Amino acid sequence: MAKKSKITPYVFLLPFLLLFVIFRFWPLVSSFLLSLQKLKGIGAEEFIGLENYRNLFKDLRFTFTLQITSYFTGGSLILLAIIPLLLANVLFLNRARLRNVYRAVIFLPGLVSLVVVGTVFRLILADQNGLLNKALGLLGVQPIPWLMAAELTVPSLIIIALWRWTGMNIVYFTSGLSSISPEVYEAARIDGAAGFSLFRFITLPLMKPIIIFVVTIGIIGGYQVFVEPYVLYSAGRTPGDSGLTTVLYIYRLAFRNFDMGYASAVGIVLALIIFLVSIVQFQFTGFFRKRQ
Amino acid sequence: MKGRVLQKSLFLCVLLLCCCLSVSFAQKQTVRLNYWTFMEVNKPYWEGRAEEYSKANPNVRIELSATNYPYEEMHEKLLMATVSGSGAPELCDVEIGKFGFFLRGEIPFYDLTDVVNKYKEKLLDIRLKAYEYKGKAYGFDYHIGAGLTYYNTDLFTKNGLRVDSIKTWDDFISAGKKITKDTNGDGKSDIWMTDVETNDLHIIKLLAMQRGGGVYNGKGEIILASQANIDAIKFLQDLVFKHQIARIAPGGQHFDASYFPWVNEGNIAAIVMPQWYMGVMMSNMPDLNGKVAVRPLPRVVPGGKRSGMSGGTATVITKSINPKHLDIAKDFLAFGKLTREAQILIWTRMGYDPYRMDVYDLPELKKPLPYFNNEPVAQMIKELWRSNDIPNDNMGPYYPEVLEQLRERIPYRAFQKREDPATILKDALKEVEEKIE
Repeated sequence: MAKKSKITPYVFLLPFLLLFVIFRFWPLVSSFLLSLQKLKGIGAEEFIGLENYRNLFKDLRFTFTLQITSYFTGGSLILLAIIPLLLANVLFLNRARLRNVYRAVIFLPGLVSLVVVGTVFRLILADQNGLLNKALGLLGVQPIPWLMAAELTVPSLIIIALWRWTGMNIVYFTSGLSSISPEVYEAARIDGAAGFSLFRFITLPLMKPIIIFVVTIGIIGGYQVFVEPYVLYSAGRTPGDSGLTTVLYIYRLAFRNFDMGYASAVGIVLALIIFLVSIVQFQFTGFFRKRQ
Repeated sequence: MKGRVLQKSLFLCVLLLCCCLSVSFAQKQTVRLNYWTFMEVNKPYWEGRAEEYSKANPNVRIELSATNYPYEEMHEKLLMATVSGSGAPELCDVEIGKFGFFLRGEIPFYDLTDVVNKYKEKLLDIRLKAYEYKGKAYGFDYHIGAGLTYYNTDLFTKNGLRVDSIKTWDDFISAGKKITKDTNGDGKSDIWMTDVETNDLHIIKLLAMQRGGGVYNGKGEIILASQANIDAIKFLQDLVFKHQIARIAPGGQHFDASYFPWVNEGNIAAIVMPQWYMGVMMSNMPDLNGKVAVRPLPRVVPGGKRSGMSGGTATVITKSINPKHLDIAKDFLAFGKLTREAQILIWTRMGYDPYRMDVYDLPELKKPLPYFNNEPVAQMIKELWRSNDIPNDNMGPYYPEVLEQLRERIPYRAFQKREDPATILKDALKEVEEKIE
């Protein structure tokens, strides 16, 4: 009977473990093994050890993609942390009328397929006859080459990210706000706090776990960005490779240049970078500090 | 009694009829083939040819399932399907710029040399050699892909010019200075003589080939950084920055969704593209019907070449095919692309310039095309070929890598960043050489 009770938990865990091993662990191991090989062609692999990794650290294009990706991640994160937090605050705390309708409308972009988003934004941001330029033209602004100028590539991608993920982050922040007891605000008001000081001294500190969560998934999502540049710019061909994110680079290496071994090495290194950035972020925000 | 006999007789007749029908169906072999392409116009062509092949061959019925994908996605899908060993179609179009990738390692296509050899003598060798590897043919093309200029006749007429007055690039520039203008007074030109792509390679490649440049020379050497290529890019930069008669194409390339309406509205007087762009114009620029005159490229020097070659697509049979169907598939492929009839239909149904030169003397290729100024465009291509005005597009093992540079790196640096052509090409060649083993 005792033996049975020792085995039982593992039996219940088995389905999850099997799925984890097959769909998560094995692909990771397989990818690492692939990163130690060079594929010369279909069915022509050669074991080369750590040569792909050595080449990676000399690869200026990889460094360039990291800069582009970091620019995108940093830019979108700042906006996707601040704007949804403020909007959530306005919608939730101030009991705005029709706030549920606003929430639903703002959340809708998150449900739209990225392929559709990219295709539609390509038409909106087109320099000739694009909707945005036509609207700006009414204000006397000359057409802006949103998709043709290298310096506007990442801002264009950030605009899409903002449009798409603001609603989702509002939902996260709203759930955080709803977990704060109204009595805390009541007590603060009695002590003379009002307006911005309520936000700064009550809302922000108590929202910290949610903010850390949103920032973390923002970092992971930002460094994994691929679909937006791929669909916004025909098959990811951005002007002068100004939107060549690291994952887009991996895709190009693997499926255009057929350099799957090297692409796997880039993927492994990217995963490590995301992990390290997340750890630094947790450390910086005191996530690992013991709560008193 | 009589009723029962009648019933039984009727039943026997129906049974006999069913048996006969099933026997006749059983004798007709059904071959199911999946076909992928990235050119919209190819799909209905092959669907039509499958029906015609079935009618012409009483014992075989081809059931073709054709799918059109975007260019990059189709090749990526094919690559993954061939690497993983499943999911590849039996027949597939593979563009010339991607073909080389599939010839490294285990080739996932069947050897079609026996098919090609039956028709070789009548066909242009250069379009067959492009898909050969170590003496074996793994596919064959649709067309020559001659470089041409598409002129908007309306814009010429409005400016008191004639399209046929353009013989050299100097004539082109003079006409361009009259045509390029600011129509709304905002200080920026709205009507342009021509454009350049920053996301594709055709105008650079065609002008380079016209000057004796290109990708490979006849000896199998990469000539990416050749003086001819440098001169071609320098000339195009001058059109944009010095003479200011050319702009960057909206969307950066001639296939962008924002490019078609811009051209359709009559904002550009001349587009330099290969011959197969004719079908693209007809499908996407309906307002230009009857207003497009097709001509050779202007000459660089008197007596110089008036064209180049760009693009190309082979149709292959992948190793995912049931080996029992291989011979039928080969025969069907030849029926669709290599026979005399096929070469005529390639022009009449798809608008591609065939590479069996004797068909150009047939009535079908002498017909004027209403969209294109009601002129017999095929005869102009014939004349270009016969006067040796179309230089060969030589192949080599790293053709895809060079094309990637011409498509993605070189034009952006040349026309957006305005960098020195020699430096751009030297850097591009270095990147290609790093990949060469």
